[in-house]
Amino acid sequence: MSSFKEFKIKWGMAIDLDKCTGCGACMVACQAENNIAPQPDASNKLKSLNWLVVYELTNGKPFPEHEVAYLPRPCMQCGKPSCVSVCPVIATDKNEEGGIVSQVYPRCIGCRYCMASCPYHARYFNWFDPTWPEGMDKTLTPDVSVRPRGVVEKCSFCHHRFMQAKDKARVEGRDPNALNDGDYITSCTEACPNGAIVFGDVNNPAHKVHDLVKGKYAFRLLERLGTDPQVYYISRREWVRRLGDNYLENEKVKG
Amino acid sequence: MALDRRGFLKFIGGATAGILATPVVWKSLDDVSIWTQNWSWIPRNIDGANSYVPTVSKLCPSAVGVKVRLVDGRPVRVLTNNDHPLGGGLSSIAAAEVQLLYSPSRMKRPLKRTADGAYVGITWEEAEAILVEGLKKAKGGDKLAVVSGDETGTINELFTALAAEMGSKSCFLMPGEAQSAAKAWELMGGEGQVGYDIEKSDYVLAIGANVLETWGPVIRNRHAFRVGRPHGEAPAVRFAYAGPVQNNTAATADVWLAIRPGTEAVLALGLANLLIKAGATSPAADFADFKALAAKFTPEQVAAQTGVDAKRLAAVAQELAKAKRPLVIAGSEFGQGGGAAPVLAGLALNALLGSMNREGGIRALPYARKVVPAAMDRKALLQNDLVAWLGKVASGKSAAPQAVVFYEANPVYALPQADAMKATLAKVPFKVAFTSFLDETAMACDLVLPVPMGLERFDDVDTPYGCGQVVYALAVPALAPLVDARPAGDVVIGVAKKLGADLGVAAFADALKAKAEARGASFTEPSATNAHVSNAVLPVNGIALRADVLSKAIDVKAPAFPVALAPVAKLNVGTSKTATPPFNTKTVRRWEIQGKELYVMMNGATAAKLGLQKHDRIELSNPAGKFTARVNLFEGVINDTVAVPAGHGHTAFDEFSKGKGENVMRLLAAGAEPGTGLSVWTSAGVNIAKA
Repeated sequence: MSSFKEFKIKWGMAIDLDKCTGCGACMVACQAENNIAPQPDASNKLKSLNWLVVYELTNGKPFPEHEVAYLPRPCMQCGKPSCVSVCPVIATDKNEEGGIVSQVYPRCIGCRYCMASCPYHARYFNWFDPTWPEGMDKTLTPDVSVRPRGVVEKCSFCHHRFMQAKDKARVEGRDPNALNDGDYITSCTEACPNGAIVFGDVNNPAHKVHDLVKGKYAFRLLERLGTDPQVYYISRREWVRRLGDNYLENEKVKG
Repeated sequence: MALDRRGFLKFIGGATAGILATPVVWKSLDDVSIWTQNWSWIPRNIDGANSYVPTVSKLCPSAVGVKVRLVDGRPVRVLTNNDHPLGGGLSSIAAAEVQLLYSPSRMKRPLKRTADGAYVGITWEEAEAILVEGLKKAKGGDKLAVVSGDETGTINELFTALAAEMGSKSCFLMPGEAQSAAKAWELMGGEGQVGYDIEKSDYVLAIGANVLETWGPVIRNRHAFRVGRPHGEAPAVRFAYAGPVQNNTAATADVWLAIRPGTEAVLALGLANLLIKAGATSPAADFADFKALAAKFTPEQVAAQTGVDAKRLAAVAQELAKAKRPLVIAGSEFGQGGGAAPVLAGLALNALLGSMNREGGIRALPYARKVVPAAMDRKALLQNDLVAWLGKVASGKSAAPQAVVFYEANPVYALPQADAMKATLAKVPFKVAFTSFLDETAMACDLVLPVPMGLERFDDVDTPYGCGQVVYALAVPALAPLVDARPAGDVVIGVAKKLGADLGVAAFADALKAKAEARGASFTEPSATNAHVSNAVLPVNGIALRADVLSKAIDVKAPAFPVALAPVAKLNVGTSKTATPPFNTKTVRRWEIQGKELYVMMNGATAAKLGLQKHDRIELSNPAGKFTARVNLFEGVINDTVAVPAGHGHTAFDEFSKGKGENVMRLLAAGAEPGTGLSVWTSAGVNIAKA
């Protein structure tokens, strides 16, 4: 795992779970932006395909002590991604400045090793070709290719928006490797009406996310697995942070 | 002939040789290898130049300000518009609005119902002729009724003006929070529309009102929440929520006060009592009466009636008293049927907290003047109670009208006792629906007229209820209608002309222009929002607390059913007008719908009391109706209460929503609120039995 590259730019998220109400706007905005086909019956969650899923968390206590929280889960864009090391065809790689884990659909052979290795269930397999109700395919954005059956897909941190932001910077004579905070944000970040997601370059002190991920209450999912995710969560609630990893009963929770 | 060993071997040998010699096997294998790789067509991306149109969503009840991204004129996304006074994010309906343009349930052409009940497509000319004929029979004496599902649009003026020209005052809005609030504000002697300045408040207590999901301009509310709760820091604005279910608003609130459904006003008076004891007062003339009434609501009494924890109640009262700019917002957990009492009690609390006519408090916003002379203004329209009127028609106290016109409204699905409402509407000889989708109400109509969707038409949003400021937002078309639809406003003007009535406006666009002017807005310059904000407020003087009305209206009876019913409304499943948008099925939680079955929520103690376990199939029944569902255990529901997700169980629409789950409205029966006469349906109960 030590062979993974280090990047000067590391795009990351800080998701404040105390601000997320689980409204689902991010999930819908993600599907529309990334040309994910709708499903008439999505009640079987093992068969539904969504790059971003909002999970419901509970503190496990009975009424009236019960609390609920919602956790949006995109791809963690791990610093040491287990999916990359198992991919036999280099369809998924972490090789570009910015640290986004790629997914190259034409290369993918559908072996699904990456799905088995991903501890976050962030990867989905296309069991069938995607279909849209008649005419709805006209609303596809030109930015993200449609995936055929037989390949694995996952959240790309709206990588096309990264490319567009870099292009814009080039046109305006700015350094594409020194984007300003907010020049590039993901669709879910933009859509969230509660501002629960802050997106930016974790390595850049001028970006808000840089300080947020260092905050007292910031944590990552299954941090101790050593995958080094670029998605951080924030919660002032101890029980929420406890659910972020497999803590022993009496173990002190981070933060 | 017996087959001996030699014969058998010969046969096998011959067959093998034959198979090897024939090309069929090899050809078939070759074909299989080709055809398995011959993949079906999947859509390809089409590139083009980007353009953006700022508008406001007419589809989402939150009236969210958005911008539409077009690629070579083809709409592909609804995006956040941070500059818009009603924007700052997306709702899960608005995020799917572009895709809904191509919904399988979209109305594509005018339809008429034939004698055998089937719908046939007709031309607009035929449709308008049928409409004119139908309306002619409804002339004079309240024989025409209008039901509108648009609470904020100038379109209502055209429909109500048409009704007025026909001699009818039976014009109604679909039930919502605005009606309860208008009634309460009127009773208190307030002028204009009551507004809540959430943006500048430092402590927001929502009693019932699901402020982050269904109450008021939700995205604007959420934006205020976002600003008041800096990322990862201690909140600058505290939010408290009181309601029977830990819903989306409660999920992030600092305090959740669990109360029984329909006891919002009791809780508010309990808080008022504690505040008055702590020294709060009001210059209202009837303060002494109010104080005497509130004194009856001791913490013990409130705890007994609402189920609230007395300590938490006291803590919230203290926090309210300490806050600099506290604001209390009262309403219904599912955005309707709450009656005036909770809002009245909530506003009285604001008066005690000194929040009237103050920054971060209650504002009285002026109504815009009418622009269609014969129209009913918003204030008058809000006073009409659709549910009560339908009740009278059902019981024969009022004569059934000859014709009903529905504009973007789906009462057959969305009113309490939905089945009975459908039966009542069946008494009306001529029913017309102006709608974008073939919904339940359209399926019960004689004539169905397609209207362009919000993204395809000019329209407006004038200060949604709940806004703390006057906001006038223009909806502008991002594209031409994809179907053979006509703007309802222009159809109404044309039909009125044919009926010999002059509404005083030549086109709907003229009415919008006049309304914009009336609000002081000008849209002559290109704008990033197409919205106008004004800080105009009316004076709030001589407000009465109306203890006399409250004492009658608060009528907490012993529950008639073993289990109270708490509908839970969420925007992600769409509205009664849209059903669940195709892109939203994935946002429905796992234990909300499984296949076609609805899951209802109750806490473990309630389930144990009823002898139920998770996944048990149960029947929920009361005199209004019954259905079966399965049990999901969720500890965020108050004891002895079942929380039922609303917005499911459509009998119309498409594969994305039709036949999935059950419609909770079937279990709700409306009653009249004592003292105000408003229809209320927030205190329902059910029997639960294993099915």
